[in-house]
Amino acid sequence: MIATIVEWKDLWQTVVASVVAGVGITFAFSLGIWGTGQFVELSRGDRQAAATIAGLVALLAFLLVAAAVIVGIVVMTHK
Amino acid sequence: MSADVILVIVVATALAFDFTNGFHDTANVVATSISTGAARPSVAIGFASALNFLGAFISISVAATVAKDVVDAEVITPTIVFAGLIGAIAWNLITWYFGLPSSSSHALIGGVVGSAVAAVGLDAILAEGLVGKVLVPAVVAPLVAFLVAGLAIGISYRVVGRQRPGIVTRGYRYGQIVSSGLLALAHGTNDAQKTMGVITLALIAGGKLGAEADPPTWVIVASATAIALGTYSGGWRIIKTTGTRIIKMDAAQGFSAQGAGAAVILASTHFGFPLSTTHVINGGVMGSGAAKRLSAVRWGVAGNIVVAWVLTLPAAAAIGALTYGFTRIFGTGALGPVLVTLMALSLVTAAFARRARQGAPVEAVGG
Repeated sequence: MIATIVEWKDLWQTVVASVVAGVGITFAFSLGIWGTGQFVELSRGDRQAAATIAGLVALLAFLLVAAAVIVGIVVMTHK
Repeated sequence: MSADVILVIVVATALAFDFTNGFHDTANVVATSISTGAARPSVAIGFASALNFLGAFISISVAATVAKDVVDAEVITPTIVFAGLIGAIAWNLITWYFGLPSSSSHALIGGVVGSAVAAVGLDAILAEGLVGKVLVPAVVAPLVAFLVAGLAIGISYRVVGRQRPGIVTRGYRYGQIVSSGLLALAHGTNDAQKTMGVITLALIAGGKLGAEADPPTWVIVASATAIALGTYSGGWRIIKTTGTRIIKMDAAQGFSAQGAGAAVILASTHFGFPLSTTHVINGGVMGSGAAKRLSAVRWGVAGNIVVAWVLTLPAAAAIGALTYGFTRIFGTGALGPVLVTLMALSLVTAAFARRARQGAPVEAVGG
């Protein structure tokens, strides 16, 4: 009975999307923090090229998180 | 005249439920931010309150789905709605009193199911909706959030493990402000709409609106205001449980729990598989603790929370059914609902007065 009542496809999609989005956003944000930390550290050590790359990684990671937040708001407004 | 009095009481009771919903579920949004020191309690609650208010205006597309999916809408009367709301409010206040985070939506569904069954029998229940849209999601939500938060915190620790603690803690605290904002917006959108739906249903049942009518503007504004005021008043007992009693969390765990929670809620919204915010956040908090160390989770507290989740539907249903039965002792007029309202107000005042003497804001533990 439950097999016919539950929308298994929706459920499976929800689980997969949750894992991908939840883990992905946390990974991106953590990468942003890592990049920021490396940027500060390397700038102090006068390694400008490496610091710039770390800063770019942080910037891209935070932009990705910002994009995910915007997607989240769009999902809310379109349900 | 009597029908109008009942309708006024139903609207007021629905707004009271909305207030308890905000009050009760504040913890979902702010607990982890407060406990890790990401935001001061007053700031976190003010922020969540404002976004709850804003969220209520984002969409009204699911406003009338609460009772319609689980009970036969044809049998709903304003008195059934009233009794269901009393069941939901009572269970929300009981769980708040004991500091247990339970689902306000499940309390509302349980209350309406109980009062509908008391009024017309088991035929009132739409089993398909109850199983598919309430019971299965209730099991799935905390498990998915547990899994996602556990994976997320594991990855976070690996990525930032060698960084200076100061920059890591500050970074995740900023992240928590963003993720709690998303959660507050989602909560306002989902839960204020449930009250809008209940009021609209009562107005339709009372002949004040057409069968396919959308919630009137005053209903949207009143629901948004009630949930925002409830959130602003802050349910400290539950904030303490979610924020500090399940696990003692650091900023990375707080962000993982909230980020996982927001992702799960938004993914479920997108795919039309509604999950409880309360179940998701608390599952996420447990997952972020267990991934670090299984013994980091206070399983006794977690067990009490799960018991409250299991009891929510039947307990709210029982209170809803008893309330409906009590009102019918006085006939079909307004006397029953008026008496129940007076009794409920007395009990609520007494409970708040008692807890106000005992309650205290949660201190930040996140360094």
